[in-house]
Amino acid sequence: MCRGLRLALTIAALALSCAAPESARDGSLVDDAGRVLAFEQPPRRIVSLSPATTELLFALGAGERVVGRTRWCVDPPEAERVASVGDGLNPNIELVVAQRPELVLFYHSPMNDGAIAQLDRFGIASASVKLDGLADLRRAAILTGRVTGDSVRADSIVQAFERDLEAAAAPGSGNGPTVLLLAWDNPPIVIGATSFLSEVVTLAGGRNAFADLEQPSATVSIEAIAARDPDMVLLAGGSEDPDWARRPEWQVVRAVAERRMVAASGTEFSHPSFRAPHAVARLRAALQEAKP
Amino acid sequence: MRRWLLLLAAAAAALLMGLVVGPASLGLAAVWDAVIGRGDETAQSIVRGLRLPRVLLAFLVGGSLSVTGATLQAVVRNPLADPYLLGLSGGAGLGAVAAIALGVGGAWAVPLAALIGALLAIVLVYRIALVAGGLLDARVLLLAGVVVGAFAASLMGAVMALSPAPEVRNALLWLLGSFDGASWQALAIFGAYAVLPLAVLYAMARPMDLLALGEEPAQFLGADVESTKRRLYIAASALTAVAVSVSGIIGFVGLVVPHAIRILWGHTHQQLLPSAFLLGGTLMVVADAAARTAFAPLEMPVGVVTALVGVPVFVWLVRRWAS
Repeated sequence: MCRGLRLALTIAALALSCAAPESARDGSLVDDAGRVLAFEQPPRRIVSLSPATTELLFALGAGERVVGRTRWCVDPPEAERVASVGDGLNPNIELVVAQRPELVLFYHSPMNDGAIAQLDRFGIASASVKLDGLADLRRAAILTGRVTGDSVRADSIVQAFERDLEAAAAPGSGNGPTVLLLAWDNPPIVIGATSFLSEVVTLAGGRNAFADLEQPSATVSIEAIAARDPDMVLLAGGSEDPDWARRPEWQVVRAVAERRMVAASGTEFSHPSFRAPHAVARLRAALQEAKP
Repeated sequence: MRRWLLLLAAAAAALLMGLVVGPASLGLAAVWDAVIGRGDETAQSIVRGLRLPRVLLAFLVGGSLSVTGATLQAVVRNPLADPYLLGLSGGAGLGAVAAIALGVGGAWAVPLAALIGALLAIVLVYRIALVAGGLLDARVLLLAGVVVGAFAASLMGAVMALSPAPEVRNALLWLLGSFDGASWQALAIFGAYAVLPLAVLYAMARPMDLLALGEEPAQFLGADVESTKRRLYIAASALTAVAVSVSGIIGFVGLVVPHAIRILWGHTHQQLLPSAFLLGGTLMVVADAAARTAFAPLEMPVGVVTALVGVPVFVWLVRRWAS
């Protein structure tokens, strides 16, 4: 597919596919698990159980209402002042309840079904938010804006974000460098096309070397990587010159042997947020610099 | 003689097959060109840099695990004994997980930590087993192996639950077993290391036959039972520990291959050990080829494949033996 067309489709997907959060017939809100959300007044105490929703709440100006977060929620820096309740998947319900929340925001996963049922028994409202890619961000932002009672602000932030993303994205012809997105070296775990990081690579003008993988990530062999001979390696976290790159078996991958590696360091690469345009711009510059 | 020819032919066929198949589709001619250093550069580096050391390492590890399995089955006189039974997998796992959780750097950090964990588990099991009056009692040895394994597994669970590093789960993936880390360097290290324990085990084939009869009969027949058991245990465990450091924990081969050889060709260890080495190596090369090609570019843990291939073969053998 032509690179420009693909870029246009990605941006269009952001704008169109998730135009608004689901609404029930009576106009009340529905979360990503299909549960109806009804509030007499916007919740004042919110526990957020995923880094993406925590960052979103702060970005929408509702940071002061966040009374609980996971240990992984470190963005923005102010979030670290909020009490941590531990993990976001299968959370410690006693700690969550102790924050006396009026709403608990969950990452949408079957692993959290038990925790949601427990909160139901305590009469504490909860919402599941799927926030895996850029296309989810707009819907999640509008949903969260309606929940916190500030839809106008959410709409304007989303519009500004889309403008920034379009400006940061690389105009290209579809023959940008192929990029291996490597999450781990032993065993080699690569990132597939359905992940957020892959979206960032595409917008930055690169092509995911494992774009055909249906899974967000998967274990592959070094031979499979060598056979695809990627132009560059994008390391999800870590340094640009990792120790494992000196291991003899990795020298068969030319991009590793020639140290054509870029590190996606920083949390703007780890989950979808309004900092995505910054991530795209950084990666675009890095890809250009590291060109073979 | 026919048996040896058959085993050698199967091993050669498996090694050739392992060299020809892989996620990068190269034809037989391209593979041959690559082996002799001609043709496409990428094909050459894939065949000579990855596939060749990989199939050889898989063969060596598969053979070694089968020999250690046969040895431990004789030492503890328990058909359920396998190379990892005596606390080794727990120790190796704890070492690998701890290295990642503590952020230990270095290209060889995880395999080295697994080796240290496995060796510590061996020492601990050995010390516990000796509490029964300074003798290496097979029952106490088994129990010590199980409790040390369970203790290490619990510590590993605690590290995983408390560690802030999400990468810790990847240590478990590594432990599930793979030859993807194979290189000429790893092959040379393992090969050089394996020679001594394999030679010790083969040299003790005769005392192993006596031991298999029971400790008392072995004693009456002139075997130094205690020293034999100690030497066998130390050689087998140390060999398994190094196997873990190059390939993770690959179950089933060490358990089933010795039994298959016993069913097919009898119990004499002088025959059993080399036959088990060849068959174990062959099975491992075939399993590894399946692991990297069945769902390419995805790779399955090789231990999953050894069980998938080995269980039906073993059931067939047992049925044949029973009838």
